[in-house]
Amino acid sequence: MSNADTFREMVEAYALGALDTDERVALEAHLASGCADCMKAIEEARWLVSQLAYYAPDAVPSDMLKGRLMQTVRAEAKAAPISTSSAKSTIPVWMWAGVAALLVFSIYSAWTARLLERQTREVNERAAAELRQLQQTNQELLAAKREAMILTDPASVKIALAPSGKDMPSLEAMWHSQLGLCVMGHKVPMPGSHRVLQLWLIPKAQGAKPMPSVTFWPEPDGRIAKLVMDPPEAMQEVKALAVTEEPSGGSPQPTSAPMWVGGLS
Amino acid sequence: MFLAALTYTDDRGVSLDAALVHRLLQRDVNAFEQLYDRHSRIVYALVLRILQQAGTAEEVVQDIFLQLWRNAQRYDESRGPFVPWLLTLARNRALDTLRLKSERQRRREEQTEELPPVVSAPEFEKSLDLKRRAERVRELMTSLQPQQKRAIELAYFEGMSHTEIAAALKEPLGTVKSWIRNGLLRLKEGLQATT
Repeated sequence: MSNADTFREMVEAYALGALDTDERVALEAHLASGCADCMKAIEEARWLVSQLAYYAPDAVPSDMLKGRLMQTVRAEAKAAPISTSSAKSTIPVWMWAGVAALLVFSIYSAWTARLLERQTREVNERAAAELRQLQQTNQELLAAKREAMILTDPASVKIALAPSGKDMPSLEAMWHSQLGLCVMGHKVPMPGSHRVLQLWLIPKAQGAKPMPSVTFWPEPDGRIAKLVMDPPEAMQEVKALAVTEEPSGGSPQPTSAPMWVGGLS
Repeated sequence: MFLAALTYTDDRGVSLDAALVHRLLQRDVNAFEQLYDRHSRIVYALVLRILQQAGTAEEVVQDIFLQLWRNAQRYDESRGPFVPWLLTLARNRALDTLRLKSERQRRREEQTEELPPVVSAPEFEKSLDLKRRAERVRELMTSLQPQQKRAIELAYFEGMSHTEIAAALKEPLGTVKSWIRNGLLRLKEGLQATT
């Protein structure tokens, strides 16, 4: 069997992500040498592997998911269009230099040009992925900073949420009228299968229905630290907070008795 | 049944998807809603199968569609049809999430790409109805030997390598490699024969 045949037999596993490191490195070196047959075979194998998605058992996302997505998308559509130039400008200079070098090299050979074009695209995509990771990290940092401000600002109101069961831990919330609401707890049991914890704001107005807020799960160690940046009701209009267990995706109205309740003094 | 949502033929579906993605560049909310309605079910089914937890799966699906909305320019129609691209993206994101909780973190960090690479659909892709294809994938997978099917499931849905699968199934490494390759080739031939 020739070397090319050996590599050709690896392409399906490569597309599947199942190759062990040594084989993957060897195959990628072979591809970098410009084997058009293997490159084409891998592109087709990626399509084949994608078809395995249809083997997943049928499942339906909740209506709440679509609601949340559409709310976000509509809000962003109303805002100023996202500039793509800012994304491009944050790609490291060295990466652009690499792209430029690849393009110059492509002049010498039409075939090489085709290969380099593909590599360039993948370099850009990796850079964009790094940028997205950075943006996500920044968002998490901002959320952590806001949580810290809520917890330390003297203007925040502390709300103790008493459990309905004697063996359950208490929760605590801190609410700042401008910064938002933070719910915390320790050793909180995980909700049942396909269930989620949901926060509710109980309005002061007579007969008003509870306002649905965020859904969340405890961390594996039972810790909860959930930030609500924009509570659905102003603090002065709310007389209590409650947490219930709801079907996955949350509910527009509570479907079970509160597991924790705490009044705003 | 999510297959009911896949009633377009590929020729029509692929071009419609590409047109919808193009409209996202103009911040067309209706186009986004159509793309979500057309593909959220299969994306969610895939992500849930990988993560096994509905809440986390919904968070990942939300992230995937928001990424599509915010970075629609990253899909290039000339590089392949939309649905395999989206499914590859969804699998990568779900496995990345799974990876955070697993000891396989380092290996997949080296391997996983944030955006899917080039996907070339074979000629028969264009003539294969999506609904029939989905049914056929299930038939073909079900027809494999149980251990062979399990090996492919561990690789695709759990992101395991050949060596990890061999250890999990207590089978020789060479056997596992053959199972996976032959199984995938049988799937390919089966899909081709359906046309």
